[in-house]
Amino acid sequence: MNTEKRFLFTLCLCLFFSYKTSAQSTYQVGGLPSINLNYKLKNDWSSNFKIESRQLLQRGMFNSDSNRNYEYILTDFSLITAKKVGLNSRISGGYLLRFRDGNAIHRLIQQFAVTQILPRFRLAHRVVTDQTFLPAEATEYRLRYRLATEIPLNGQSADPKEFYLKISNEYLNSIQNSDYDLEIRFVPLLGYAISEKHKIEFGLDYRVNSFLDQYARHSFWTSMNWFIEI
Amino acid sequence: MFKYVFAGIIMILFASCSNQLYAQQKYEKESRLKENETPDQALDFIDSLEVGSRIRWYLEEGLERTSIEAKFKLNNQKHSIEFDTVGNLEDIEIQMKWRELQKPLRDSISFYLGEDCEKFKIRKVQIQYSGDRSILLTKIKTGESTDSYIVRYEIVVKCVNTKNVSLFEYLFSNTGKKLAISQIVFKNSSNLEY
Repeated sequence: MNTEKRFLFTLCLCLFFSYKTSAQSTYQVGGLPSINLNYKLKNDWSSNFKIESRQLLQRGMFNSDSNRNYEYILTDFSLITAKKVGLNSRISGGYLLRFRDGNAIHRLIQQFAVTQILPRFRLAHRVVTDQTFLPAEATEYRLRYRLATEIPLNGQSADPKEFYLKISNEYLNSIQNSDYDLEIRFVPLLGYAISEKHKIEFGLDYRVNSFLDQYARHSFWTSMNWFIEI
Repeated sequence: MFKYVFAGIIMILFASCSNQLYAQQKYEKESRLKENETPDQALDFIDSLEVGSRIRWYLEEGLERTSIEAKFKLNNQKHSIEFDTVGNLEDIEIQMKWRELQKPLRDSISFYLGEDCEKFKIRKVQIQYSGDRSILLTKIKTGESTDSYIVRYEIVVKCVNTKNVSLFEYLFSNTGKKLAISQIVFKNSSNLEY
């Protein structure tokens, strides 16, 4: 299945679930700004430090009342160290610290990513496993796969002072206390390469989960990313 | 509290980099050109080829030089024709398969690649013609072969050594002698990985 078909399939799947359960399903709308600092080390090592915050602007049920109060939800700090293992592939591991409701949540991350350079765009496959340690709850284990593409809007690559589209589609399998859930993410973003070292992206981060045996939970985040190469 | 920390970091980062954004150097930038933005000489040359398929024009800006490139398919082969900014022909590159090269040439190229790489894999092969404009026009249109133009081979190779794996672009003469080598540096992909 090619990239376009895969995205269309996911979009249809998401629309199907939202139609099927829209009367009872919940939604939340908010902002998801992030800053990514990337640092190249010696011998093909590199590191990524990311800060991401989540702010809620509206929540409710479809076809029902909604709550429009601003609410700060959480902030994540993560540090990942990666080693280049092939021409365009990297294996990495790291740690994420999440502050939510006054609690600190810890997550270990293992990741493998490979980027294909195609004649008109780049395509990246990413497989992640992570383990989240929550206070007074069982550990949550996740297996994630993400396909992301960067399509330049001018020329054959996203050069400085040029716009690009970044579209990603991710499937997150999670298990906690033998409860399984699947989350699907569809993230279309408009990006701008300010220079070789700075990129900004803006767009929608749509997520749907809990649809397998309950009413779907939809999230519509306004995603704002800033990538900095140091 | 953390929302204020987050907002503060964003503001500091914006303030710290705002001065250096415009001081960054451009290395190589490729952007699309419209047909009416290309020099007449370049357009005339491409028109003479009667390509018949879609032609894509690009402006390639490097540190040392700027060129104009036309890319299209002709006779089911990918062609790339490079001009200078006023439309003078620089070279013609046609993509071909490794096995289409003659064996002595393949052996010579492989010998040089074997010296540089413990293991290598040919990613792309292009035959490159340069020389007189009218002779090259005849060559491309009719396939007629004369000795009055220069033939070289541009080879993109994945080169594996103990400590690293990299992509290189080699330029070989028509006898398989190594003329030039440059490392292909990929654009960073952190925004696709994180």
